[in-house]
Amino acid sequence: MKSKSRYIGLALFLLIGLLPFGLALVYALLYSFGIVGIANDGFTTKFWQQVLVEDTFVQSMLYSIVISILSVVFSVGIAMLIAIKYVSKLEKPFMSFVSYLPLCMPGIVVAFFLIQILSEAGWISRLAYSIGLIDQLQSFPSLVNDSLAIGIIVAFVSVVMPFFLLLFISVYRQERLDELAHVASSLGASPLQIAIKIKIPILLHRTRMIIILYFIFLLGAYEIPLILGQESPQMISVMVVRELNQYDLTKISEGYVVAVMYTILISLLTLVVFSYHRSKTVSHA
Amino acid sequence: MSFLEIKKVGKSFGNQEIVKQLDIDLEAGKTLSILGKSGCGKTTMLKMIAGLESPDEGSIKVGGTMMNSVPPAKRGIVYLYQEDLLFPHLSVYENIAFGLRIKRMDKSFIDKEVRRMIAELQLEGHADKMPEAISGGQRQRVSFGRAIITNPLLLLLDEPFGSLDAGTRKDMQLLFTDLSATYKITSLFVTHDMKEAILMGDEIGLMREGRLKIYKSQQAFLADPDTGVANEIDFWGGLTSNKSD
Repeated sequence: MKSKSRYIGLALFLLIGLLPFGLALVYALLYSFGIVGIANDGFTTKFWQQVLVEDTFVQSMLYSIVISILSVVFSVGIAMLIAIKYVSKLEKPFMSFVSYLPLCMPGIVVAFFLIQILSEAGWISRLAYSIGLIDQLQSFPSLVNDSLAIGIIVAFVSVVMPFFLLLFISVYRQERLDELAHVASSLGASPLQIAIKIKIPILLHRTRMIIILYFIFLLGAYEIPLILGQESPQMISVMVVRELNQYDLTKISEGYVVAVMYTILISLLTLVVFSYHRSKTVSHA
Repeated sequence: MSFLEIKKVGKSFGNQEIVKQLDIDLEAGKTLSILGKSGCGKTTMLKMIAGLESPDEGSIKVGGTMMNSVPPAKRGIVYLYQEDLLFPHLSVYENIAFGLRIKRMDKSFIDKEVRRMIAELQLEGHADKMPEAISGGQRQRVSFGRAIITNPLLLLLDEPFGSLDAGTRKDMQLLFTDLSATYKITSLFVTHDMKEAILMGDEIGLMREGRLKIYKSQQAFLADPDTGVANEIDFWGGLTSNKSD
């Protein structure tokens, strides 16, 4: 009976979780090799060659990786600093409510809100103009749709940081970091040593999988880079959708090439991360 | 000559007086075991000595140095909790080495000391394991080793064997007695268990409602009817004689 229900669970997982993903990947693969698709007329590798010759994909991928790494580093860094410094204050009901609030904010709202604040015609620019810091609104440095992706990174940090803050507070209590800090202190550790050698490593150790998963999630984020990103280079998801929506129908196959490459890359990364995590868990057991 | 001198230390939380007129005189290398029920002020007393709580009044001296205003990290006093509280991200080896690494001691010295301590704790073969991969008794050993290797002026043990099963507890009592003698450790050993208090302490203290009464010898402790030892002896003696009848 138990094994029967296990098989049903496995079948449901395959049907709902893996089948649509697998079918979509197979379809994308066939499209990328010209086997299916309205403008295609049989197997060809020319779309793959085209994408690999152009450096748009590599550029876009690197751009996405750098933005995602910076966003995760800032989010984790700020959240950890706040969690370590103010953990007891953040557990008070009002502060707890305030720290949960940003989680209700959809990414698209944050993106539009940042345009209102950070663009050349935004609030900060107008404020700077009205107090005479700049002589015209156009002199305000462009912080959205900019080449350094400041707008995207600020938006990612605004969305992700509160989540990490709540996660770190929970792990802080669960791992009894205050008591471990007392032990470290009585063994001679200074507050800085306690933070560097005890609190930060434990928080990172316990949350490393979630941090990596968030990195992967940001790598594929769409709405925020679409609204706050620049024309070129674009983050990978925005680039894929742009390719798939081209009027030139042959470009759609190239879009699928990029989508397949991106999927394979992310799947491999996830596989490596989970295998590493599993091997660590098994060796500790 | 007293090594640990505590004079008239008191502590209140709000209107409640938790520790009252605490006086302790303990020679170097001796263990004072302290018996008391939950909530009698034992943990607050230890925390004041460790520097984790500040006393409202009185003085705490260790080795002739006034400790009242010395921060916990500089006191040379190690506080061991009932739980082992090993650092979960560090191996057994690194947990034991922690106090020496913090003091930036020479690497080869640290390695030699840690390996010697691992051998004394009978933890050979476990050095590279993570805390979650060893048993409760072994974890408590690591916790002891981590404290003792730093050569603390004073060791404070807050019911250290409270969470262990009877067999492991007995082993740990023996191990602690051996380590105490080897390293000439001065310690305060808090416990709920009367037998453990008698076994572990050179002197025995009884804490009730924040007041500590110290018996300089086991005989003095056994002779005082307030300690309840006489009742215990009568009870067990009665059981034995009933059985033989």
